[in-house]
Amino acid sequence: MIVSVLKLLVQIMLILIIAPFFTGVIKKLKSKFQHKIGLSVFQPYYNLIKLCKKDLVVSSVTSWIYNVAPYIYFMTSLFAVLCLPVVHQLIGPAYFTDLLVIVYLLVAGRIFMALAGLDTGSAFGGMGSSREMLVSALVEPALFVIIITVSSRTGIASTNVSSIYEYTLSHTEAAFSPINLLLFASMLMILIAESSRIPVDDPSTHLELTMVHEAMVLEYSGRHLAFIEMGTHIKQLVFMTFMANILIPIGFNIENIFIGLGIYILKILAITVLVALVEINTVKLRLYSIPNFAAIAFIISVLGFLTCFILK
Amino acid sequence: MYSNAINLLAILILISSFILIANKRQNAYISTFRFQSLLLALVSLLVSVRSMLSNKKFDEVIIIFCLIVLFKVVIIPIVLKRTSKKVEYTVEKDFFINIPVSMLICCGLVVLCWHVIYSIEGINNSDTRNYLIYSMSVVMLGLFFMISRKKAIGQIVGFLVIENGMFLAAMLTTEGMPMFVELGLFFDLLTAVLIMGIFVFKINDTFDSIDINKLKNLKG
Repeated sequence: MIVSVLKLLVQIMLILIIAPFFTGVIKKLKSKFQHKIGLSVFQPYYNLIKLCKKDLVVSSVTSWIYNVAPYIYFMTSLFAVLCLPVVHQLIGPAYFTDLLVIVYLLVAGRIFMALAGLDTGSAFGGMGSSREMLVSALVEPALFVIIITVSSRTGIASTNVSSIYEYTLSHTEAAFSPINLLLFASMLMILIAESSRIPVDDPSTHLELTMVHEAMVLEYSGRHLAFIEMGTHIKQLVFMTFMANILIPIGFNIENIFIGLGIYILKILAITVLVALVEINTVKLRLYSIPNFAAIAFIISVLGFLTCFILK
Repeated sequence: MYSNAINLLAILILISSFILIANKRQNAYISTFRFQSLLLALVSLLVSVRSMLSNKKFDEVIIIFCLIVLFKVVIIPIVLKRTSKKVEYTVEKDFFINIPVSMLICCGLVVLCWHVIYSIEGINNSDTRNYLIYSMSVVMLGLFFMISRKKAIGQIVGFLVIENGMFLAAMLTTEGMPMFVELGLFFDLLTAVLIMGIFVFKINDTFDSIDINKLKNLKG
């Protein structure tokens, strides 16, 4: 019991410490590729500290939803990443969790953010909420096909996280099979859409007509905004962890926990390099082209699903 | 290892045909076709190297590899690019079917191929069956690409993709066809593309557009 609680605490501390770092790495890489010096990789931490020191400005017309939404968003993201251990030694508390729970925890957080965007009554908030829910709905089929494929491989067709981890532990060579590569490509597109990155949404713009996620949280300030940003960093890490541990399980079965963690962080860094490369090589899509983007992600995941049966 | 690599290349060829269907620009069609041909060349290189290593003698498939690189990666794309530069269209604005729906239809076509080939009795080697599924799907996708585009360049690229699919099937199920058959196929293809290119010019001259729907109009 105590060991389980300890594992949980270790995982929480780890996630809170490393999550903003990867956002900083993506920004730094982007600047490097454009021959700029760029901000420090620890800039997201400074931002969070600065936001926590600032005062809250809350509009007088908002209801309770506006005040609780940042905390719910943060907590659901944190719970989602707790369900998906970063190394297999920390799996103890995640025995009863399920991949579908992770998806719906993220959706719950997103729904509260969308409601909060509507709550202020500003035109941008409503527009941002509607677009955010559209993107979420469009990439969900691809995500589900990936989950079904990953779980149907285990033999007992269970979406339980621990059974998928056990299968992955005994099949680490599957990292180079066509199935995993297809699922990886599809998951990368989902990661880009869900963490509001460039072909779908531009995280650094505040231009009226192009912003999606930023429009939704435009009214937030101070501590609330810090929680929202932390939630976004963590949500990005959920998808990256899924990719690093289940889709490219190289070195996943190493017994030493510290070496395992090192390999995990290296894999996440490799994924951030990919994301940064996509960001500098593409331009933001028009809103009406996002269904095409989602359709391609869906098709690639369906091909992975078919291949899973063909290659048996 | 070998079958994993071939499987991966075959799947990439299939995905490149999906990318082709998602494309809207004529130059992008041609680059995607070039990419697909490069993957096909890699497949033939792998097949020939493997047979040379196991039989310890020269294999003709390596010549086919050179021919694919020469014709499909270099010459045909250049001819097509020149053709598309001379006619003024660069973006297709209106499709018969929009892109997400056509992607879903193509997904259905892949499932159909899978179903059909699984129901054929007598294919005992599971690898051969996989290769047949991928290459048949590429053929079907090429056909679908041909009927879903209105501009003539798209139709030529669709035709070439169908040929790529057939070539993949022949290469992977028979480990390379006889040399003369392949040579004949290549020259056939090249003349076909040249003739089609000339046709596109003529259509463009006569109708001021390469939209094939306008071919229905009467011309005095």
